[in-house]
Amino acid sequence: MDDQIRVEKLSFSYDVKKVLEQINMEINKGSFFCIIGPNGSGKSTLLKVISAALKPQKGVVYVEGIDISHIKNRSVAKLISFVPQNTSLEFDFKVSDIVLMGRYPYINKFIGEKQEDLELAEKAMQYTNTLFLKDRSFMELSGGERQRVILAQALTQNTEILILDEPVSHLDLQHQMEILNLIKKMCVDKKLTAITVLHDLNLASAYSDYIVMMRNGEIKKRGTPFETLTASGIKEIFDTDVYVSVSPVGNKPYVYALARPDVEKKGIRVHIICGGGSGSEIIGRLYSEGFDLSSGVLAIGDLDWKVSKENNVQIAEEIPFAGISDEAYAKNKELAEGADVIVLTGLYFGKSNKRNLELLLEKSLEQKPLFILDNESFAERDYTGGSALQLYDSIKGRDNSMLIESKRLSEEILKVVGAHE
Amino acid sequence: MNKIVKSNWPALAFLIVLLLAALLLAVGTGAVKISAPEIIGILAKGDDSVNASIIIDIRLPRVLLAAVAGAGLAAVGGVMQAIFKNPLVDSYTLGMSSGAAIGAVISIITGLNVSILGIETTGVFAFLGAVLTLFFVYGLAYTRSRISINSLLLAGVAVSYFLASVISFLMMLNHEKIDHIVFWTMGSFSMATWNEFGISSIIILPSLAVLFFYTRELNMLVMGEDAARHLGVNTAALKNILLITSALIVGGVVSTGGTIAFLGLVAPHIIRLVIGSDNKRVIPYSALLGSILLVLSDTVGRILIQPAEIPVGVMTSIMGGPFFIFLLRRQKGK
Repeated sequence: MDDQIRVEKLSFSYDVKKVLEQINMEINKGSFFCIIGPNGSGKSTLLKVISAALKPQKGVVYVEGIDISHIKNRSVAKLISFVPQNTSLEFDFKVSDIVLMGRYPYINKFIGEKQEDLELAEKAMQYTNTLFLKDRSFMELSGGERQRVILAQALTQNTEILILDEPVSHLDLQHQMEILNLIKKMCVDKKLTAITVLHDLNLASAYSDYIVMMRNGEIKKRGTPFETLTASGIKEIFDTDVYVSVSPVGNKPYVYALARPDVEKKGIRVHIICGGGSGSEIIGRLYSEGFDLSSGVLAIGDLDWKVSKENNVQIAEEIPFAGISDEAYAKNKELAEGADVIVLTGLYFGKSNKRNLELLLEKSLEQKPLFILDNESFAERDYTGGSALQLYDSIKGRDNSMLIESKRLSEEILKVVGAHE
Repeated sequence: MNKIVKSNWPALAFLIVLLLAALLLAVGTGAVKISAPEIIGILAKGDDSVNASIIIDIRLPRVLLAAVAGAGLAAVGGVMQAIFKNPLVDSYTLGMSSGAAIGAVISIITGLNVSILGIETTGVFAFLGAVLTLFFVYGLAYTRSRISINSLLLAGVAVSYFLASVISFLMMLNHEKIDHIVFWTMGSFSMATWNEFGISSIIILPSLAVLFFYTRELNMLVMGEDAARHLGVNTAALKNILLITSALIVGGVVSTGGTIAFLGLVAPHIIRLVIGSDNKRVIPYSALLGSILLVLSDTVGRILIQPAEIPVGVMTSIMGGPFFIFLLRRQKGK
């Protein structure tokens, strides 16, 4: 079996308070495995149970097939190392002394550290770029340096599993990246399995191979970042509305916190003709301002399609590169007819999506207010050899169409809808 | 690593020489002054003179008892500080010394003052007081099948205050025995005999060996209990062993010399300032320094206002308190 860690039917409670209930999971060797969830959801407790610091009332944790509640501390320490959120000492210890403590489970008490142990510690310090701190006092180090020293200690411990409880929560951006890059590097280089709790969803998205989402002591959702970090998934776990897009760097989900204090739904439907990312920003903005949205016709997998999916936007969709079928066209028309206003974004036109322009000349949509964005650049975006431009000109000339700047869009929509009522 | 150990040899040698000098000085000082060569001569050859009798029968057991007690208290202080990750902690913080004192006081006022196998029952009561208080404090702090260091510390301080007021109350009710009680609560070696030295050595020296044996683990506890456990230390067992061994030492000291304050705090502190925090060295070095300090304190207390004697517990407080404040200020300035 490929699972390095297997958690079966795990339940844990402090006195009568249930903290973990019926947890089942498998963790693959060499993966960056992340647990996210609100405070008090049981993440840290789960880490403690996996690392054998707490004994579960029910269920078993198998590490490489061994039930860890039945082995000694020393043997656990040869399998699993642990990195806490931060480490502070009341007494002065040298960095090299701290790193060398990682050898404890291997050391014979009567002989002490051997040359081999010292070499391992030195290698670990080299790897984590802490060798130059070797003779410094641990207490004098910055938060990021301390965390690197603790990682060196964990490496010296020579385990295949590294458990981290919010390892970067108290660090600034530079050191957050530095530590997470280092952990990721250890996963790849040394086939180390990292199991970590992270609070920053975007860091979790960027680094994790697999994410488990917890709430009230149960796993509610699990999978790759794309499978878990959806607007609906995050709503379920954190009870918070967010906007999820795709990070242009690394192609991972990117979660935006919506700074909107209790926005009421406006009860206004906006249909957006977009594609290729031209509508993403507008969808996000209008959504966060309380508009109801629909979009189309979008090719499945298109960036705007993904953004629409994440934000509960109704979509008229189509198979990629197939052109717009009558069916998709009809769906798009239906959505547009149901909307209060239509927005045409600065998308590129080719053979396959030209029909999105034809739609705007439909009789049934003549009376709909139409906002056109990015007017000037249309010619550059026309890849139909001019036929789209022709359509575009007649759309511009029809009644109720307005050329506006994107930043004034919502203001204008409210004006137009208000006037209609 | 080897280099570090080597560079600490001078400190170790210095402490040993200092201890020998302090012992010689203490044995030679008193109402009758005896020179160092004469002491060495008496110890080497044996002698029937009066001076030999003063040394062998009176001064030597007292000085050696102080040396053993000082080593015990200082080592216990260093161990407690590492366990509680607090440099301002010693055997008093867990209520052990107060417990020992109340044991002694109870035996005095109930008149249960008999001698079994050469041990005064007061001493046995003191020892029982220390151990029972430790278990009581431990029990108070034991929640959710784990011991938290904070609750242990709080319980220790609370019980300590409670016991101190109980002692005051008992003193109030027993005016006629107040002198005897005060003698115990202040700490003094004036009643030292070879017998007492033997008994406390049998308890304290093996216990010290146990403490020295666990100094590597003690270092790791400084990282925090969870971290130490994740590094493979069986922290629950370790704490039990160290605390019970410490109670044995404190009981051993209190039963022969009463309660002696400040030594367990000051000695490890000075050592750490000089050689750093590695407990593999801090604990044995503190024991040596504790010996030296207690032997000297007892000697000074003996001669300062002759023919009266200042109890050694008062001496350690008078000298230790200001010194400790000085250390604190110096550390703050850094």
